[in-house]
Amino acid sequence: MTTRRDFIRQSAVASAAAAAGIPFAAAAQNVLLERPATELKWAKAACRFCGTGCGINVAVKDGRVVATHGDVHNEVNRGLNCVKGYFLSKIMYGSDRLTRPLLRKRDGAYAKDGEFEPVSWDEAFDVMAAQFKRVLREKGPGAVGMFGSGQWTIWEGYAANKLFKAGFRSNNIDPNARHCMASAVMGFMRTFGMDEPMGVYDDIEQADAFVLWGSNMAEMHPILWTRIADRRLSHPHVKVAVMSTFEHRSFDLADIPIIFKPQTDLVILNYIANHIIRSGRVNRAFVDRHTRFMRGNTDIGYGLRPEHPLQQAAVNADDPGGGEPIDFDAFAAFVAPYTLDHAVEMTGVDRGWLEKLAELYADPAVKVTSFWTMGFNQHTRGVWANNMVYNIHLLTGKIATPGNSPFSLTGQPSACGTAREVGTFSHRLPADMLVANPEHRAKAEEIWKLPPGTIQAQPGFHAVDQNRALKDGKLNAYWVQVNNNMQAAANLNGEGLPGYRNPDNFIVVSDAYPTVTAQAADLILPAAMWVEKEGAYGNAERRTQFWHQMVKAPGEARSDLWQLMEFSKRFTTEECWGEELLAANPDYRGKTLFEVLFANGQVDAHPVEQIEDGYDNDESAAFGFYVQKGLFNEYARFGRGKGKDFADFDTYHQVRGLRWPVVDGRETLWRYREGSDPYVPAGEGFRFYGQPDGRAVIWALPYEPPHESPNEEFDLWLVTGRVLEHWHSGSMTMRVPELYRSFPQAPVFMHPDDASDRGLRRGQVARLQSPRGEIVARVETRGRNRPPRGMVFVPWFDAGVLVNKLLLDANDPISRQTDFKKCACRIVAAEGRA
Amino acid sequence: MRALLRIAVVLALLSGAFVLSAQDPESSAPAPAPTEYRSLDALRRGAPLEVEPPAPPMARVENRDLRRQRGWPEQPPTIPHAIDGYQVTTHANRCMVCHSRAGAEQFQAPMVSVTHFMDRDGQVLAQVSPRRYFCNQCHVVQTDAPALVGNEFLDVDAVISRQRER
Amino acid sequence: MAGRLRQRVRSLWATLRSPSVHFSLGFLTLGGFIAGIIFWGGFNTALEATNTERFCVSCHEMYDNVFEELKPTIHYTNRSGVRATCPDCHVPHDWTDKIARKMQASKEVWGKIFGTISTRERFLDQRLRLAQHEWARLKANDSLECRNCHNYDYMDFTRQSPRAGAIHERWLGSGERTCIDCHKGIAHGLPDMAGVPQG
Repeated sequence: MTTRRDFIRQSAVASAAAAAGIPFAAAAQNVLLERPATELKWAKAACRFCGTGCGINVAVKDGRVVATHGDVHNEVNRGLNCVKGYFLSKIMYGSDRLTRPLLRKRDGAYAKDGEFEPVSWDEAFDVMAAQFKRVLREKGPGAVGMFGSGQWTIWEGYAANKLFKAGFRSNNIDPNARHCMASAVMGFMRTFGMDEPMGVYDDIEQADAFVLWGSNMAEMHPILWTRIADRRLSHPHVKVAVMSTFEHRSFDLADIPIIFKPQTDLVILNYIANHIIRSGRVNRAFVDRHTRFMRGNTDIGYGLRPEHPLQQAAVNADDPGGGEPIDFDAFAAFVAPYTLDHAVEMTGVDRGWLEKLAELYADPAVKVTSFWTMGFNQHTRGVWANNMVYNIHLLTGKIATPGNSPFSLTGQPSACGTAREVGTFSHRLPADMLVANPEHRAKAEEIWKLPPGTIQAQPGFHAVDQNRALKDGKLNAYWVQVNNNMQAAANLNGEGLPGYRNPDNFIVVSDAYPTVTAQAADLILPAAMWVEKEGAYGNAERRTQFWHQMVKAPGEARSDLWQLMEFSKRFTTEECWGEELLAANPDYRGKTLFEVLFANGQVDAHPVEQIEDGYDNDESAAFGFYVQKGLFNEYARFGRGKGKDFADFDTYHQVRGLRWPVVDGRETLWRYREGSDPYVPAGEGFRFYGQPDGRAVIWALPYEPPHESPNEEFDLWLVTGRVLEHWHSGSMTMRVPELYRSFPQAPVFMHPDDASDRGLRRGQVARLQSPRGEIVARVETRGRNRPPRGMVFVPWFDAGVLVNKLLLDANDPISRQTDFKKCACRIVAAEGRA
Repeated sequence: MRALLRIAVVLALLSGAFVLSAQDPESSAPAPAPTEYRSLDALRRGAPLEVEPPAPPMARVENRDLRRQRGWPEQPPTIPHAIDGYQVTTHANRCMVCHSRAGAEQFQAPMVSVTHFMDRDGQVLAQVSPRRYFCNQCHVVQTDAPALVGNEFLDVDAVISRQRER
Repeated sequence: MAGRLRQRVRSLWATLRSPSVHFSLGFLTLGGFIAGIIFWGGFNTALEATNTERFCVSCHEMYDNVFEELKPTIHYTNRSGVRATCPDCHVPHDWTDKIARKMQASKEVWGKIFGTISTRERFLDQRLRLAQHEWARLKANDSLECRNCHNYDYMDFTRQSPRAGAIHERWLGSGERTCIDCHKGIAHGLPDMAGVPQG
């Protein structure tokens, strides 16, 4: 038996081999003169990393991925990749891949304080099922939960959603997209009544101006940045405005560079609305016909625990999303105080830049595309910021036409395709439906062939509340898939770690690598990744992309889909549903969850013979039917006729993705516009059909201060984020030698004057401290990120520098998305300089 | 003579211990920790979850100008030299001073490949295509940071010879 | 009119020509000498005071733009701690050239008063023109201010990267190029380089 120590030693030996420079590559030899020996089997896939959704060609030889490159036939990237995408070939081959389940044991039995030991899948699932059953028996469905991901394939998210919301009857399932996209979702829902952008990437080739609102696209969406650079550098009239709280690589292309004080983006947004109104450039024809106005509730708190003084003081903490109808004049009066003078004073930005920025929106001749990501979304007023950028596009009618596009980018490859469209949030169902809505529940139950009343009406714990509930002992059986939340989430010391290690709780983590989160778990399940399984992702422009399984997962690693479905076999309806529901629906008695959820005549409708020749499909082989096709076809029923139509399953394996709604075999580029969107009736011009009256909502919302600002004791702003070379927590990219060696550790980026004022210098070891904890890292006063005085930036990819633990888990009260861009900290030299 | 031998033995033991400690991340953990927090993740540099591992020295960029083997032909080559202060902005592209067609002879630098002259539609332009303007998006430097975890990727030649051996 | 002026000049001349009545020759000589020292010293002190980085960056235009850009570069911090301050590169060390440059600087006072580069936007608008002055000056004097520290004769190519050594030997050693030809933007951001020869 391999012990945990052996397991660690093996991975250490492998890393030592790599460190010694053994390249795992053959030496140069004569050119092979036999053509067949040099042939590679190529297949298409979507990139495993960000939400851009680049097309990838993958080459397989003898069961191994040997090369990858950008797909020249994919419209998204037309052959390009960023440096991460180019190195996709190596992400599956880290020498510490998990290949067997690992369970904490002592004296041969599971023990919370035991050491990890390899176990069989049977033993792993036996222990896991016993724990889930114990919790279901003792506390009911409200005490089991799952934390999923925007990196789940579509069918994995769909199966997980179904297993929890229908199988276990628990709505405590939420994706890590909560940390990333929730504010964008609520922004869309409040303004348009329907999720996801109306525009497409083709806007880039049409726009005259680009405005980045808190998005470092040069590093985080590099391929979209190549398209913007192409447009800007090919057409000299094009302008690029880059806004951020610190200077970064996107500023290299900026014509209008704006560094504003944290949180004052809200002031700039209202100033632009005011400027458009005062200068008489409101598109009244558009506004009168296609919009209406609302004033949103203010003083809504910061999503903290109810006893926190900031929550106690907030007037509208109980109804953060509420509001009342107003008219145009009331809106104009509302934004009137946001003058240029006021904006200059609040933001610290030069007048000239602000005026130029406002004119990009106000000038009717300029087609403007706005982009944003975490600067807006990870913001305690993130939903407001999203609503407010729609305001300025709606006031000018610059929306849903080529080049005029308020465009919310996504960070994860399937934040849109899985987390949002499949509705794996704790309050949602597929196709923008809500658990709280009885009609929506009824529709889901009908499609799922389940008894009425199966789905619970009460939304479950969202991401932040899950960690709090684990700590408080309210959530006791918990499954984490495809994410590294212990490294990602804010306030590890305060909530996350005590929650996972709470003796009442059983924590399961499925991952391909032994991450920080896996380390905090009780059971680790080895997962298949990327092209080791058949998959589908949906990118930020509504493009759904499929790929085939191309290689086998190592050892006993299994896909998340197999894990979810196989685990469901261990539960009967009696154990999960309660007597009341079964008494009313006796047909469901005595069945396993697998039978009612997956062997329901729909999911198992397609034989394995329908799998395209030449490709493995390990899940389908295990269950005896074409699992992915059945799940997708059942899922596709949710959105058909609702503006979220998909093409048929097999089509997606042939094309380089299609942008929904796909009606009569044709994808949709610009939504809500006549002639482009089949859902807009002739003669209407535009129709925002997500709203019952077809009108988009312009929200009157103010500036409100951040939850925490620098003070005497903690005198610096802390911003955390990403770097180009690493993706999220680095669990994949840090295992690719070239990516690791290009950016091996997370430093503290700070202004050289701030450093010298504190007696620090470049390269020195420092302790960065907040009321929530401290990290140890080296000072960096050079390089790509240049914070202004009074601010530090630390990337969070480095498992050795868990910087997000310094953040407060304050969040947007409407979206419940955490603010990762603002908290107070201080930095001191670490004693004993190394 | 015996004294010398003793010293040699001690030295051998010491170096053995050093090798072991270099290989076992656990033994370099800064402090004993509750069992359940102990390090599994090599990227944690051996530290348990609630302890901050010491910061490794700031890695240095390799500046030897030696070309490196690519893992596969389409892999963008890594940069074999330091690029501190090389500005690539709307105004100037310092990389292309040397790596352009015109600069290649003057500075004996490899010219960017022909794909870099192609626009989105595959049309060849006179100079580097604007979509390829920001070199750093694909080409990165390499530091001397010691590996924390290995990678078992096999390049295609190795796969072919493995196939032939069978 | 002209006659009256001539009369005044003539009377002043007469006064200056007449010998001193109260002061000895020795006193006058010594006094003149001391006054000369004070005057000359004061001039030079004032000149030198304007020839420090502290003075240069006392204007926000310099502090917020060019000085800020200098900080992350090798001319600000480096392994040996020998650093270049503003005048090291931008003021000629030779006295006559220095005075000439200082006289030119009076124009910069004008710019300061009228806010020619008082915002970042204005500075960026002027950057190409300002940079061209410096490049032209350095080109004309064969990069003299660079060479005050970086002397080709004392470069040890084995201590440079192979690439740098080879390029220096070929282009600098042959005199075909001067430092500024290749090293534009070494310490500050570059303006729009369209049409500007580099390398």
